[in-house]
Amino acid sequence: MSARDLSALSDAELMRLERDIAREHLGHFPYFVVFWAFANLAVWLLLWPLVLFGVLPLWAGFIIASVNVTLSYLPSHEAQHDIIARPGERWRWLNETVGHLSTLPLVLPYRVAKLTHIEHHKHTNDPALDPDYSVTAPGPLAAIWRSIRNRQPRSRGGLKTYGATLVRLDRQDVMLDAVIYDTVYYGALFALAWSGFALEAALLWWLPIHIALTYIQYYLSWAPHHPGNETGRYRNTRSFRAILGNIGSLGMQYHVVHHLHPRIPLYRNPAAYWQMKPVLEARGCRVEAL
Amino acid sequence: MDSPVARAIKALFHVGPILFGLGFVAPLTAQTLAALAIDAPFGLPHLTFGILVGLGLGLIAQIRGRWI
Repeated sequence: MSARDLSALSDAELMRLERDIAREHLGHFPYFVVFWAFANLAVWLLLWPLVLFGVLPLWAGFIIASVNVTLSYLPSHEAQHDIIARPGERWRWLNETVGHLSTLPLVLPYRVAKLTHIEHHKHTNDPALDPDYSVTAPGPLAAIWRSIRNRQPRSRGGLKTYGATLVRLDRQDVMLDAVIYDTVYYGALFALAWSGFALEAALLWWLPIHIALTYIQYYLSWAPHHPGNETGRYRNTRSFRAILGNIGSLGMQYHVVHHLHPRIPLYRNPAAYWQMKPVLEARGCRVEAL
Repeated sequence: MDSPVARAIKALFHVGPILFGLGFVAPLTAQTLAALAIDAPFGLPHLTFGILVGLGLGLIAQIRGRWI
């Protein structure tokens, strides 16, 4: 089946094809992502006693922590889309537990992440309404620099945009989550530092968070939406070929499928993409890179 | 956010860079110098030098609105 074969189909027929393919990939329990959530958090927590008691050298702890914190977002992302279980389903408690716990190392509250991420899906690439639009940049190095600049004290971009989004949604109550998370995080950093563990706090938590946020914003926000100038359902996200491959890019090479069908589990996006590609081509999606 | 606790937290976050400089950069600088066995300039104790660096960088970041 090629795009040319499908070009004669009507929009309704294309939509039916697309949905039939998507349906094949929905409803599969993502066992690995649940294991990933708890194992990743356990490893990060375990690093602290291992490093503080001298079992693991700090440099090794730093590398592992940076990987841990970077990997902490995606299980929560699956939970944000109710992929583990929808409201009312048997495993709903697990969905919410994964959502809340997995991003603790990243100091990102689940409710903040979920509400703002759903807005990102609703308004992708809209400069005024997409909470992730501030990562838009002309190229890879500019995107990395933009991510760092967005984290500066008086920046209005990056995660700072999330506060404005919550105000727009009239969900200031959720901002309290962020205030509590930040207060506990900085309180812990300061307490550790003044107790003689400043290097450990810096290399197991503070610096890994900055590395993780840069990496996550590059591959999850910038790369799949670059150049960020189109807002249509079939044009706001692209497939792309990452130097580090699909795993190295945190599974984002096939992100176009995620934006069309957000409840398909991350691990099934590649298969769904290849099945759906003729439909995507017929729709004019930006899928030329893969 | 109208409660006294909320106002206090808001005020603390408003001077975040200075707090971060004193709360984190200062001991981090002192402990980094100690770990590398480097003496602080002018014969200052590591922690005193760390506080000067942390407070200085924090003040600059507070005024400029950015660390880098």
